[in-house]
Parts: sequence; C-alpha cells; structure tokens
Amino acid sequence: MEQFFQQLTNGLAVGSIYALIALGYTMVYGVLRLINFAHGDLFSLGAYLGLTLLTSFALQGRLGLALGLLVLAVMVMGLIAVVGVVLERAAYRPLRDSPRLSAVVSALGASIFLQNALMLVYGARYQVYPDILPQASIRLLGLDVPVMRIVVVLVAVVMMAGLYVFVQKTRTGTAMRAAAIDQDAASLMGIDVNRVVRLVFVIGPALGGGAGLLVGLYYGQVGFTMGWSYGMKAFTAAILGGIGNIPGAMVGGLLLGLVEAFGAAYLSLAWKDAFAFGVLILILIVRPSGLLGERVAEKI
Amino acid sequence: MKISMRLAVAATLLAFGSARAADAIKIGLMAPLTGSWASEGQEMKRNVELLAAEQNARGGLLGKRVEIVVEDDGGDPRTASLAAQRLTTRGVVAVVGTYGSAVTEATQAILDEAGIVQVANGSTAVRLTEKRLKYFFRTCPRDDEQGRVGAAVLEKGGAKRIALLHDSSAYAKGLADEIAATLRAHRANVVFFDALTPKEQDYSAILTRLKAAKPDVVFFTGYYPEAGLLLKQKRQMGWKVPFIGGDAVNNPDLVKIAGKDAAAGFRFLSPPVPKDLDTAEARAYVASYRKRYGEAPSSIYGVLAADGFRVIAKAIETSRSTDPDKLRQVLVGGLKDFPGFTGKIAFNGKGDRVGELYRVYEVSPSGSFVLQK
Repeated sequence: MEQFFQQLTNGLAVGSIYALIALGYTMVYGVLRLINFAHGDLFSLGAYLGLTLLTSFALQGRLGLALGLLVLAVMVMGLIAVVGVVLERAAYRPLRDSPRLSAVVSALGASIFLQNALMLVYGARYQVYPDILPQASIRLLGLDVPVMRIVVVLVAVVMMAGLYVFVQKTRTGTAMRAAAIDQDAASLMGIDVNRVVRLVFVIGPALGGGAGLLVGLYYGQVGFTMGWSYGMKAFTAAILGGIGNIPGAMVGGLLLGLVEAFGAAYLSLAWKDAFAFGVLILILIVRPSGLLGERVAEKI
Repeated sequence: MKISMRLAVAATLLAFGSARAADAIKIGLMAPLTGSWASEGQEMKRNVELLAAEQNARGGLLGKRVEIVVEDDGGDPRTASLAAQRLTTRGVVAVVGTYGSAVTEATQAILDEAGIVQVANGSTAVRLTEKRLKYFFRTCPRDDEQGRVGAAVLEKGGAKRIALLHDSSAYAKGLADEIAATLRAHRANVVFFDALTPKEQDYSAILTRLKAAKPDVVFFTGYYPEAGLLLKQKRQMGWKVPFIGGDAVNNPDLVKIAGKDAAAGFRFLSPPVPKDLDTAEARAYVASYRKRYGEAPSSIYGVLAADGFRVIAKAIETSRSTDPDKLRQVLVGGLKDFPGFTGKIAFNGKGDRVGELYRVYEVSPSGSFVLQK
C-alpha cells in the first residue's frame, strides 16, 4: 500500500507537468487547428532561460527565495511569450491560409531550429541548475513527500485553474472561445481574430516556459533535447483528454502521469512508455475524440 | 599540406630506416593521430616514443637501437587496414595499437598473416580475442571483465539482496547481463533486474519500485546523466541504500547533476586514471613523462600503449630473438607478473590480459573521485 501512495504522488508530480505543457498544444489547436510542434522546444527554452537568469541575477539572494522565484517565473514566462508571438508571426501567420500540412511542416522546422539554436548557444552538454530549493519533506499518509513536489503540483494546478477562469469568465476569454468556434463569424461580430491568436501564443508558450522553469528548478538537469520527450508526452496527454479542450488537457496530463507511474510500479519498468502509449491507443479506439471529447460547440 | 607533411615524415623515416636497417629493431605504432580520437592517438605516440628513447639511452634491445615506425589509422577501419599493410612492408617485428575495437579488427588478420605480434591498447570488444589469432594480444581489459569485477565487488560488499538497473543500451544491458549471470552462477540473490528510460528527468517511479524490492545495494550500469538524477532523487526520497555504477558514470558532471551531498559515497568501477597509478615504476614513469612533455599523461589508454611497448621489449630481451613464435612463448606464460605501469601483466592463451584492471572509485564529500585501495 505504501508503494501505491508513493507512486500516486510520483504520477501526480509528473502528470501536472505534462498537463501544463499540454495546455499549450491544446490552446493553439483549439483556435488554429495547428499542432505546434515547436511547443516542446519553447519548454526547453524556458528551462535554459530560467537557468541563465537565475545564475546571472541571483534574485533569490536579493529578494528572498519565494519572491525571487516569483519574479524569475514572471521574467521567464514573459520572455517565452515574446518568443511565442514572434514564432506565430514568423512561422505560422504567413501560412494561415495555406493547406494545413504546410503549417505542420513549418512547425516542425521551427522545432528543429529552436532545438539546434539551444545546442549552439548553450552547448550539447547537460546544464545544471544551482540547488536553491529546500530539501524538506513532510509526512503524508504515512510516507515522506518532499515539500517541493507538493509545490510543483500546486503551482501547476494554480496556473491551470487561472487559465480556466480566464477563458470562461472574462470578455477576452469569451472572444477566444468565439474565435475557436468559428473565426469568420467571430470577426463579423467585431472580434479581432489576429489579436486572439496572438493572445493564444502569449499564454500557451508562457505556460510551457513556466513548466520548463519548474522542471529545471525541481529536477536540476536540463538538456537541449528535453523538449522532445516532454513535448511528445504532453501532446499525447492533450489528445488523451480531447485536443482543443482545456480541462481535457489537464485530465489527460494527470492520467498519463499516473498510468506511467503505476505501469512502472506493477508492470515492467522498461515497458513503462509502451504501456502508457498502449493506453492511449486503447482510449482512442473506444473514444476517438479523447476522454472529455473534442468539444464540437466550443473548441477551447 | 597534410599529405605533403606525411610524405616528408615518411621520407625521413625511410632515410633513417635504410641507414640503420642493419642495426635497428623496428617496432610499429598504429594510432589514431587524426580523426575524432586524435587526442588519444597523439598521447599513444608520446608514450611510446618516450619509452623508445629511454630504451635507447639504456643501450637499446639486443645491442641494437629501437626504432618506432608510426602509422596513422585515422580512427577508421579502412585507413587502418592500409596502415597495417604498410607496416608489414616496413620490417617491423611487432606493432603496438590500436585504440578503437572496430579499427583494430580491420588490422588483425593482416598483421597475423604477416607473422607480426600485435599488442592493442584500447580495443575492449570481446570478439577480438575470441578469434584465437596466434600473435594478437591486448593490454586493456575486455568488456566482459567489468561484469565479473562488478559481481565480485557486489559479493565482497556482503550484499544479500542485489538490484541491477540498466538503460537498455547495448553497453549497459550487456554489462548488467554479465553481472547477473556471474551472480546467479554464485547463487547470489538478484531481487531486481530492469531498465529505466534514458533522457528522462523524473526517476521517482523507478526508485519507488526499486525500494519496494528491498535491495541492500543497487548497481546501475548506465551513463552519468541518469546516474546523477537517480542519486539526487534517491536522496530526496530519503532512501539510504548504496548505489554502485559502471565506468560510464566516470564523468565530473555526475557530481554537478546529483549535487555533492547526494553523490558522496557513490562508488563506481573504472580503469585507473594515470594520476592514480600506484606502483613505483608508474610513478617514476609519470614523472619522466611530465619532464619530457610538461604535463602528466591524461589517458589511461596512452599508458596501456606504453605497457604494450614494454611487454614487447621484455619479450625480445627474454627470448633474445625477434621471431614471433618465440615472442609469443614469452608473452603467454613467460611473463610471470611483469610489473606494468597499469599493474601486473600476464597474458592467457587467447591474448587477453590476466588480472583485474578495474578499480573502485568513490565520490568524496567534496565531490572528487577517490581511488579505493
């Protein structure tokens, strides 16, 4: 039983990171019907930028740990948002009216570009975050859970909840949902669709970059290819939950994390990924539109 | 430029060769002087040339001076086979080298047919000596030796329940299989044998599973990035079981990734680095190397090339001959604990070095790798 609860916390921690990245895929898909393959690399970029800012400004030393990290997170998310907007402007908007395949190829190209740029700037070796987080752990349900693991899950949940409220309750969020349903009708209603798309490319990449910072801070080791494996898993999570569906991305991410952890616990470690993707295939056979379904009325 | 330089070098060597042919014993050196392993090759050359100069200062071999004939194999099997053919026409009695296993393999048959003794220094693939070539030897260990040493270290540590973790790569899985086979043959209790997925960040699910198997010790045969994360996350879990690694974790980045606190006490197997060579001969040699080149040798494979030269010289002196069959007679069974720089050297009938080259290193609290006696 102890192993069960331990694996539950393991799965939730990994799953919340997957969910956070999955949101970026799902939002872009909801509005543009485009799989933004460069999203995983924006995540790596967030991890690397966080490392650079952390080591060059050492904000945690000047402002205290909590405030320093908050400022750091805002800086990283802001910078990645800028990169996201530039990416949309340079690689996707010129192809908005082209066949969908061209945009997918452009997304793959952007991914390869970002990954190689990271390698050339930072080098191919692994980079390591300084150890600044407290190592304390608390006893929960009879097992030691590191405090930072709970913080990682909480941060991810808060970010996701904030996004959900934003999309559901604000005027801009409503405009976003309207553009997701029908871009032409939305622009006839006076919604600036380009502005909505830009906003999607602010929020999605910012969340991805934030996830990168979180991973860097918590796990410590960053490599230029890390965006590929995280991106694949997050993309899977988005499809699992129903792509284009924000709560679906959250559910899909957490579910994938749990399936991996329990697959590793009770089946074979080496087959962990095969098991996770096997579940994906099964779910898609039963529910082709994902768990919560690709909402027909509202895509986002 | 390169070609013309090479021609010039060859011409010089030829001039020397013809002038001294009568009173010189020629020993070939085949090394990757260019290509991606060039740093290894350059160091092999420095080692062997230093020893030849010292030998000549002592009066050479059998009253003749020793001459080193250097050929560049470029770290490439095709270049190497041409290099080996050139060596066979240059009157060498034995060849030291080379580094990569596939490169050495391309030269084995050529040298063996020509009746030239070859002593490789960095080629660890098992198959090279399983061909039972008559004149092939190596001063480096075989890939499967690490498995036996690993099993021995685990058993000596007194662990009752042993866990083996690899990463599914050919090298790491092979090593884990080898250790497991040896342990099972000795009826040791292997309670866990599985693989992690390399290049991930979160190994807590794997560590939790490992912990549930209640091992006394965990041997991870993979590479340093994963080993570093495992150590770090093991510490975060508050799990205290000792971890041991194979030689693929021998990289200072391991400590950076894990953090000093989590890495301290981690042990791993590796051939000794030159600064840790402990015999009086080796220390004297490292000193004279430093005197000649201004720095200590950095690669153990360069020193293994030096040992290759020394066993050849020893065999020539002992047999008072350069006949390959007589040299083989000395090398197989006639060496009797020859004091090499890298430890005692003797060869078995296959041409493999007898005895253990792998050492145990431990990460100190300050994060440096300390050789365990």
